[in-house]
Amino acid sequence: MGKQEAEGGCGVVGLACNVPLEGKYLLQSLVQMRNRGNGKGGGIAAVGLVPEQLGVSEKILEQDYILQVAYLDKSVRKQLEDEHIRPFFVVDYEARVDAVDDYRTIPGLEVEPPEVYRYFVRIKGDVLEEFVRKNNLERLKESEVEDEFLYQNSYRLNQQYYSSLGKKKAFVVSHGKNMVVLKLVGYGDDVVKYYRIEDFKAHVWIGHHRYPTKGRVWHPGGAHPFVGLHEALVHNGDFANYHSIMEYLAQRNIHPLFLTDTEVSVLLFDLLSRVYKYPLEYLIEALAPTTERDFEMLPAEKKRIYRLIQSTHIHGSPDGPWFFIVARNDVEKNAWQLLGITDTSMLRPQVFAVQEGPIKIGIIASERQAINAVLGKLQEDQRIPGRFADSYWNARGGSFTDGGAFLFTVKDGGDGKVLECADKFGKVIDLPKQDWLPNSGSSVSLNASIAIQLQKGPKAQDPLGFYDYVRPALRDAGFQYVGEILEELKRLAMKGQESGQFAIKTLSVLYDRIYDTGNKKRSSLLQLYREALNDVFSSISMSNSDLYTRLDWKNRSRLVHPLGSQVLVVDALEFPAEGDESAARFVVDAHTQGWKNILLYNLRGHRFIGSGLGPRTNGLKIDCYGDVGDYVASGIDGCEITVHGAAQDQAAQILKYGKLVVHGDVGQAFMYAAKGGDVYVLGNAAGRPLINAVGRPRVVINGTCLDYLAESFMAGDPYNGGGFVVVNGLKPSFDGRYVEQEYPYPGSNLFSLASGGAIFIRDPYRKVSSEQLNGGRLADFTMKDWELILPFLQENEKLFGISVKTDLLTVQETQLDPRQVYRKIEPITLQELA
Amino acid sequence: MGNLELIVEKHSERIHHGLEVLPNLRHGLPEGLGNKRWTAELILATYEMALTGDLPKNGLEYKTGNSGGGFDVLGWKNNGSAKVESDKIDLSIELNKRDDGKKITIPLPIYGGGMSFGSISLNFMLARARAAKRLNTFMSTGEGGYPDDIVPYRDHVITQVATGMFGVREETIQYAPIVEFKYAQGAKPGLGGHLLADKVTSEVAKMRESSMFTSLYSPFPFHSVYSVEDHKKHVDWIKTVNPRALVSVKVSTPTDVDMVAIGSYHAGANIIHIDGGYGGTGAAPEIAKKNIAMPVEYAIPKVHDYLMSEGVRDEIVLIASGGIRTADDIAKAIALGADGCVVATAEAIAVGCTHCGNCERGRGCQVGITTTDPELSRFIEPEWGETRIVNLFTAWSKRLRSILAGFGLENVRDLRGRRDLLVRYK
Ligand code: SF4
Repeated sequence: MGKQEAEGGCGVVGLACNVPLEGKYLLQSLVQMRNRGNGKGGGIAAVGLVPEQLGVSEKILEQDYILQVAYLDKSVRKQLEDEHIRPFFVVDYEARVDAVDDYRTIPGLEVEPPEVYRYFVRIKGDVLEEFVRKNNLERLKESEVEDEFLYQNSYRLNQQYYSSLGKKKAFVVSHGKNMVVLKLVGYGDDVVKYYRIEDFKAHVWIGHHRYPTKGRVWHPGGAHPFVGLHEALVHNGDFANYHSIMEYLAQRNIHPLFLTDTEVSVLLFDLLSRVYKYPLEYLIEALAPTTERDFEMLPAEKKRIYRLIQSTHIHGSPDGPWFFIVARNDVEKNAWQLLGITDTSMLRPQVFAVQEGPIKIGIIASERQAINAVLGKLQEDQRIPGRFADSYWNARGGSFTDGGAFLFTVKDGGDGKVLECADKFGKVIDLPKQDWLPNSGSSVSLNASIAIQLQKGPKAQDPLGFYDYVRPALRDAGFQYVGEILEELKRLAMKGQESGQFAIKTLSVLYDRIYDTGNKKRSSLLQLYREALNDVFSSISMSNSDLYTRLDWKNRSRLVHPLGSQVLVVDALEFPAEGDESAARFVVDAHTQGWKNILLYNLRGHRFIGSGLGPRTNGLKIDCYGDVGDYVASGIDGCEITVHGAAQDQAAQILKYGKLVVHGDVGQAFMYAAKGGDVYVLGNAAGRPLINAVGRPRVVINGTCLDYLAESFMAGDPYNGGGFVVVNGLKPSFDGRYVEQEYPYPGSNLFSLASGGAIFIRDPYRKVSSEQLNGGRLADFTMKDWELILPFLQENEKLFGISVKTDLLTVQETQLDPRQVYRKIEPITLQELA
Repeated sequence: MGNLELIVEKHSERIHHGLEVLPNLRHGLPEGLGNKRWTAELILATYEMALTGDLPKNGLEYKTGNSGGGFDVLGWKNNGSAKVESDKIDLSIELNKRDDGKKITIPLPIYGGGMSFGSISLNFMLARARAAKRLNTFMSTGEGGYPDDIVPYRDHVITQVATGMFGVREETIQYAPIVEFKYAQGAKPGLGGHLLADKVTSEVAKMRESSMFTSLYSPFPFHSVYSVEDHKKHVDWIKTVNPRALVSVKVSTPTDVDMVAIGSYHAGANIIHIDGGYGGTGAAPEIAKKNIAMPVEYAIPKVHDYLMSEGVRDEIVLIASGGIRTADDIAKAIALGADGCVVATAEAIAVGCTHCGNCERGRGCQVGITTTDPELSRFIEPEWGETRIVNLFTAWSKRLRSILAGFGLENVRDLRGRRDLLVRYK
C-alpha cells in the first residue's frame, strides 16, 4: 500500500530530567521552531508522570496501561467503550483530558482537536487466560502477554474506528504505561496550549511540528508522535525504502494503519524491542547500520554480531534522511528514556545537550537555539542557573565512535531519580564536577582592585590585556568575584563612549575565549557574561549620536544613516527569523543606509544573517550575539562576520570573499560551494563541510568534522592562490586547555573526489589513514606548506588564543617541527586516476 | 581584413544562406537530416519560420514530428474555422500566481530554458538574451554561470542555481527577476531517496544492490536540501538575497513528480518546471534520457490533476519542457495542464542547428552553437540570432492564435487542462 502522507521535514525537541518538568518548558522552543513545520500537525509525548496530577495513586500509575482514545466523532464513545474497553479491562480511573473550551481561542487552530479520554486499565483475568489459551502463549511472561493483548486490542479499535472505510471517528493516541501522547492539526505548541498541559509534569517530553506536504484534509491521527507500546517516536525525515519496510513488517504480520514513515518507524522499534527483545545497542544497529571504515574499526566481536544484525534486518532499516527522537518507558527496568538516533549519513539536523545543576537535564533538538530556548525558560523561572548547556554535541551516524545515538535515562538513584547520559555502546558521558551559579540574591559590591585596574591601569584600553590580567582570578575566584568584575564593566559601559567600547570588547573576550574556570562551570559563567552583555546593549539609547546607537523591532523605522563610524546595535529579539522583514533584511537596509558596524544581539535562530548584502561589502563588520540561525554569512563578498557562539547549519554557503569567525561549532553543509573567504572556526564542523567549494577558501577548523569533509573540493593550487582547509582536531578541556580529540578526523570520505586545493591536518600520532580517503592521497607536509598556513594559524591564535607554539606544535610537552605535527592531503590528478 | 576573418565571414555567409534556401525544397529534403522526432521537415520548417516570422507557405510540416509517440500521437479535435478574431486572442500568462504582489506577465506562454555558458557559445547566449528582451520574455543561464556580457539583459535573464552552484553569487541572484533551482535529474526535492554517492560504495549498499530499491542510484540534490523544510529554507535564502525574485523549481519527471510538485509549492516556489526526458542537445546519455524520467506528456496531467486535487493549482505556475518542438507541442502541453512551456532546442534549430548530436565532439558545433571555439562561435552574430529566434516565436504565436481561434478561445489560459480538445491517434 502506498504512503498516504508525505512528510516534508519537521522541528523536533525532546528533553529528559531527573525531576518532573512542566509542559510549558517545551513551549518557547516549539514557537521558535515553527518555521520547521507548517501547522498541519503537532504533538507531544510525556513519560514518567506525576500520579496526583492524573488523579490516581502511585500504584495505579505504575501498574495500569494509560489508554488514551481520541474521539473525532464524540458520538461513538459509548459504543467504542462497550466494544473495546469495558468487556476486557478493569478501568481503575477514567477522565476526559482537559482542554480549552473553544479551540478557536487559540489563534491559527483551524481544525477542532479531538476530545481525548484517558482510561487507566488492567486486563481482566479471565480475558487474559482466554487470550493465552487461544494463542498458545503459555511460554510468555504475564507482562508480555498483557502487552500483546493490549496492543492487539488497540489495533482492532483503530482498524474499526479510524482506518477502515476511511471513517476516521476515533483512534488510540497512546496506550503505554506511565506515558501519554497528545496531538492535533496545528503546531506542537498549540497542543500544549489546547490541552492545557503548561503545568502538567513529566520526566521525559518530546514535542514535534510536522510539515506534511500531501493531503488536503489533515487528521490528528497523522501527526507525530506515533506509539508502539511503551514508546512514542517523532521523526524528521523521509525514507526512500518505505515499501521495502512495509514488506518487511508485513512478513512479520504487522500492518500499519496510518501509512506514514513515522508509524512504520515506531512499529519497527516496537518489533525489535518488545518482540525480538533486542538490547538498545542492537536495536539501533538494526535501524542505522555501521558501515565502511567505521565498521572496520569495531572490535571483532561486535563486527560479528553487527554483521548478523545487518544481514537480518537490512530490508527493514530505513534508508534516506531521518532523525528519530524516542521517549519510552522501560517498564521492566523502571526507567524512562529519551533517545536520539540519526541515519548513517546524518542528513537531518540534530544537536544533543546536557546541563547539570540543581537539576540535571538532557535535551535533543533540530537546532541549538531550540535547546537554549528550553534552558532559557527554565532559567527565567530560576529552576536552573543558566541558559547554556554544559555540553553540546552531534552524533556521528553509524559510527564506531558513538554509534550515532545517545540516550538519556531517568532512573532510581540513591534518593530520588537520576539522569544518566550514554551513547549507543553504553559509554556513559560524565560531566566534571564543577560548581554552578548559585541562585543569586547576594548583592554585588565594587571590588576596589578591579576598579583601579579598569579605570586607571595600563589595561584600561586593552581588553586582551585585561583578560590576561584577570585570568588567574577567573580560575581561582568564586562567582562572586566574577560578578564584581562584570558589575564594574557594566558601570564603565555607562560612563562614556570609549569606556563603553572597552566594556563591550572585554565582555566579548570573556564570553568567547576558552580558559580555565577552576571549579566553576563554564556554562554558568557564560550566563553571567550574557546577562552583562545584554544589560550593556539594552542600556544603549536609541537614535543618539554616540558611538553606539540601538534599534529594535518596534523602532525599526527609525533607521537612518550613521554618523561617522557609529555602531548600530540591533535587538533582534522580535524580528522574524526569515522573510521580507527579517533581521537579515534589516541588516541589508542598514548597510544600504551606510552602516559599517552592525551588532546584533538577542538572536534566537534568525536565519540568513549576512545574506542579501550584495557584492563588494568590504569594510562592513557584523557581530552576532545570541543564537544565530541557519545560513549565517552565506554569500558574503567582502564583509567580516563574527559569531560570538556557535553557528548552525548551512553557514557560509557560496561565501565569496571576506572573513567569518565562529567562536564555537558550525553545523551541517558548512561552506557548501564556497568560492573563497578566510574562515576561522573554534569548534567542530558537523557533516559535509566544504562540499563543492571552489576558488580560494582558506579555512581553519580547530576541532574536527563528522564526515564528508571537502568532497569534490575544487580549489585550485593552494600555493598559487587556491584554497585549503586546516583541521587541528583539538577540543577544549574542562580546565581550559586545548587537547587532542581522540581522532583528528574520525570519519571516512575525507577529501573524496577532490580535484584541487589541499587539507592540512594536525595529526602528530599519524591516525589518519589512507582508507579514509577516496580519491585524495596523503603527501609530505613540507616547510613550504608550513609557510603557507602559518599566517592563518597566527591569525587563529589572535582570534581564539590557540597558540601556534604551545598548543599546536607542542605534543606531550615537547615542541616539534611542523612536519612532525601536520600532514597534507592532496588530490590525485585525473591523469593519475585514468 | 586578415585571412581568417575572410574565412569566418565567408563561412557565416554560406551557413546563413543555406538556412535561407534549404527550406524552399528546391533540392528536396536533405538526406540524413533530423530523426523521427525532429524530422527533416520540422527542422526546415523551423528554419523557414526563423527567416520569415511566418508559418511555412510551401507545405512544409511544421506541427508535428513522426516519432509514433508523445505529442506526435496527439491531435486536435475538429479544429475548424476561426471563431474568434485572431488579434483579440490573448497569449499572455502570469508567472506568479501567489498573492505576494510580485507580478510578472509574459506576452506568450514561452520562455527560454537553461543552456549553460561553456556548453553554448557566448554569441548564442547573447542572441537568446536579446530575443528574450525583444519578446519581453526570459531565458535561463543554465548552470554554468552568468557571463558579464549578458548583464545588460538581466531583466530577461533567469539565474539558475544548480546543485554545484557554480557561478552563483549574490549579485547574479540579485540581477534575476526569476531564480531557477535545478535539481539533479531524478532527484526528488524533499522526498528522500537521496543517498549520497559514497554510500553506494559502502558495504550496506552492496547488499542492497541485489534488492529491489531503485532509488539507490538517484543522484543527490543540493547538499543542504534533504526535505521540504530544507527546501523552503533554501528558497527563503534566495528570497532574502533578492526579495523581488520569483522562484522556479526545475525538476525532472520521476514517477512521483506530483509529490515533488506539491513539495515545491509548500516550499514557497512560484513556478514548478517539469523537464521531461526528450530535451537537450543530444549530449545526455540515452539511458538517462529514457529511463529516469517519465515522458513529459504523462507528467503534465499527473501534476496538474494533483495540484488541482490539493486545491493549490491556482497558486503555482506549471511549466513544461523537454521535447517541446513546435507551437502545436506547446498548445498540447497546455491542453494537458501546463500553463506554459520552456524551449531550448528549438531556439538552437532557429539559428541553424541540424540536430546532429555532435555538440560535445572536437571543436564543438560546426554551426557555432555549442562551442567555445572563438572562430566557430562567430557564425552566430547576436543580432542575426536574435532576429531568427524572434521570428520563430512570432510564427509560433500565429499558430497558437489559430488553434485557439478554432476552439473559440480568447485566452490561452482557457486552454489549460482542456484535454477534451485533444484526440489520440493510433
Ligand atoms: S553540434 Fe550544433 S548542430 Fe549539431 S546538434 Fe549540437 S548544436 Fe545542433
